[in-house]
Amino acid sequence: MAEVVAERRKHLPVKKDAPPRRRRRHWRAYLYLFPTLVIIGAFVYYPIVESFRLSLNRVAPFGGTEIFVGLDNYTRLLTSAEFWNNVEVSMWFMVGAVPVGIALAVAIALLLSYPVRRLAWAHRMLIFVPVVISSAVAGVLFRWLYNPVVGHINTWLEFFGIQGPQWLTSRTWALFAVTVAVVWRQLGFNVIIALAGLQQIDESYYEAAKVDGAGVWDRIRYITLPLLSPTLFFLVVVNVIISLQAFGEIDILTQGGPGQATENLVYSVFVDAFVGTRLRGFASAQAFLLALMIIAVSFIQFRGFRKRVHYQ
Amino acid sequence: MTVVDQAVTEPFAAEKTPDRAFGEPRRWGDFPLHASLFFIGLAISMPIFVAFFTSFTPLGQILADSNSIWSPPWTLRNYVTAWTATPFGRFMVNSFIQTGVITIAQVLFSILAAFAFAVFRFPGRSALFALVLGSLMVPFELTFIPNFVLISNLGWANTYQGLTVPFLASAFGVFMLRQFFMSLPRDLYDAAKIDGASDWYYLWRVAVPLSRGAIAAFTIFSFLGAWNQYLWPLVITNEETMRTAQIGIRFFLVNQERATDWGAIMAGAVIVMLPTLLVFLVAQKQLVKGIAMTGLKG
Repeated sequence: MAEVVAERRKHLPVKKDAPPRRRRRHWRAYLYLFPTLVIIGAFVYYPIVESFRLSLNRVAPFGGTEIFVGLDNYTRLLTSAEFWNNVEVSMWFMVGAVPVGIALAVAIALLLSYPVRRLAWAHRMLIFVPVVISSAVAGVLFRWLYNPVVGHINTWLEFFGIQGPQWLTSRTWALFAVTVAVVWRQLGFNVIIALAGLQQIDESYYEAAKVDGAGVWDRIRYITLPLLSPTLFFLVVVNVIISLQAFGEIDILTQGGPGQATENLVYSVFVDAFVGTRLRGFASAQAFLLALMIIAVSFIQFRGFRKRVHYQ
Repeated sequence: MTVVDQAVTEPFAAEKTPDRAFGEPRRWGDFPLHASLFFIGLAISMPIFVAFFTSFTPLGQILADSNSIWSPPWTLRNYVTAWTATPFGRFMVNSFIQTGVITIAQVLFSILAAFAFAVFRFPGRSALFALVLGSLMVPFELTFIPNFVLISNLGWANTYQGLTVPFLASAFGVFMLRQFFMSLPRDLYDAAKIDGASDWYYLWRVAVPLSRGAIAAFTIFSFLGAWNQYLWPLVITNEETMRTAQIGIRFFLVNQERATDWGAIMAGAVIVMLPTLLVFLVAQKQLVKGIAMTGLKG
C-alpha cells in the first residue's frame, strides 16, 4: 500500500505552495480579462502594426491591391508642400489654442476658488457646461455665430461700429475662428482641472503670506502659480494633444478651407484616406508621423509626472 | 483625451471652499465677484443660449434680425422641420443604440478586467496591465484607417456592430475602476473567501456596491464619450439610415437645400445636445469630481 502511495507521489507536482485550486483561478483571471484584451488587441495594437505596414505600401483606391513601395510614402510626404502646410496649420492651432485656453481657465478658476455664499453652483454650471458638448455640435453652434450676415458675432460687432470679417471663408480669419471654437469647447474641462489644482494648495501658505503682508497679486505670483505648476504642466500636455487632434470643428466649420488654410494633419489624414482618391498608404504614413508626435508628448507627460514639476 | 492625471491618487476637495488668494470674504464685497462670475458664465454658455433661442424663432425673423430671437413670438415649427425633413428620429435611435451598447459593454468589461487586475494573482499580470494602460497613449488617428479596413472586410460598415465593436472595451475604465477595487481592504476579500463566497459573488455583492461612485462616474464618461463620437461614425457609415445624430446634423448643414434653414439646424443641434445637457444637469457633481480626479473625459 505504502509503495503505491509513494509511487503516486512521484507524479505529483513538487511545489507545495501551488495547490491545483490556484491554477484554476489563473484560468479564471484570464477569462475576466478576455473581452477587454480581445478588443484592445484587435482595435488598438493590431492596427498599429497594420498602419505601419500600410504606410509602406501603395494601396489602390478600390479593391485594395497593394504594392510595396518602402519608405516612398514618407519621402513623398516630407517633400510635399501640402504636408508642411498641414504641419504649419497644426502648429499655429496649438500655439493659438494652448496658452490662451490655459490662461483663461486659470483666471476663471481663481475667481471660482474664492468663497461665495450663494449661487456658486449656478456660476459653476454656466462655466463648466461646454464640457458635455460634442465637437460636431460646437462646430454647428459656431458656424451660426460666425455667419457673416446675420450671425451674432458680426451683429454684435456692428453694435460697436465694427464691420466683422467673413470669418470662415477669409484666409486671414478662418484658422483663428476655428481655434476659438476649439478653445471654447475645451474651456470647461480646463477650468475643472485648474480649480481642482487650486483646491489642493494648502491654505496655510496663504495665511503665512498674509501675515508677512503679501498682497493679492504677490500671493498669486509667488504662491498660487508655483504650487499650481504640476497642474499647469498637465494642462499644457493635454491641451497640446487635444489641439493636435482637433477634427470635428474643422470638418463642420471649414472642411479644411479656404484653400487649405485650416487643414491640419488630422484633417488631411481623413481627406487622403476617405475623400476623393483614397490614398490609404499615403494617409497611413501621415497618421504615423502625427501619432509619433502625440505619443512623444504623452510620454513626456508620463515621465514628467513621475518627477512633478514643483510640488508642495 | 488619453492622458492620466497626477490627481488619481489624491482626494478632490470639491466642497472645500475656504479663504483663497483673494483675502477675507465680506458680505457686501461678494457682489463684484458674483457679477463678474455671472458675466463670464453667461459669455461661456452664450453659444448654447443662442442655439436654444434660435431654435424657437421663426426662420423669417431669424434672417431679418438675428437678435430678435430673445423675444417672442416663439414657435415649435423648427423642431417639426428638423424632425420631418431628415430622418432625425432614426438618427436619434441609432445614437441611443450605439451609445447604449458601448456604455453597457465598457462598464461591464471594465469591471471584470479591473477586478482581475486588482484582486487576482496570475502570471503576466503586470505585463498585461501595462499593455492595457499603454493603449491609452495610442491616438485614434493611428488606428482608424486599419480599423475601417478591418470592419469593412467583416462586412460591418453601416451596421451597429461597425459602430460599436471597436469601442466595447475601455482601457481608461479598467484603470479607473482598478484604483477603486485596490482601495478595498484585502481582508474583506479574505473574509468573504473564508465564508465560502466565490470570486463572482464577492465581485457583484461586495466590490461593486462599494464602488458605486466610481462606477457611476465612469458610466457618465462612457456615455458622453460614445454619444459625442464623431470621426468614427462619420467614416464607418455612408447610408443615411445608419447615421448617428452627430453625423446627421453634419449632413443637415452640408446639404445645400437646408443649409440656410438655421432655425431647423439649431433645433437639430439642441436635440443632439439635450441628452448630454440632461446628464450634466443631473450629475454635474459626479462628472466634475470624476474629471478632477482622473484628468480625463470621454
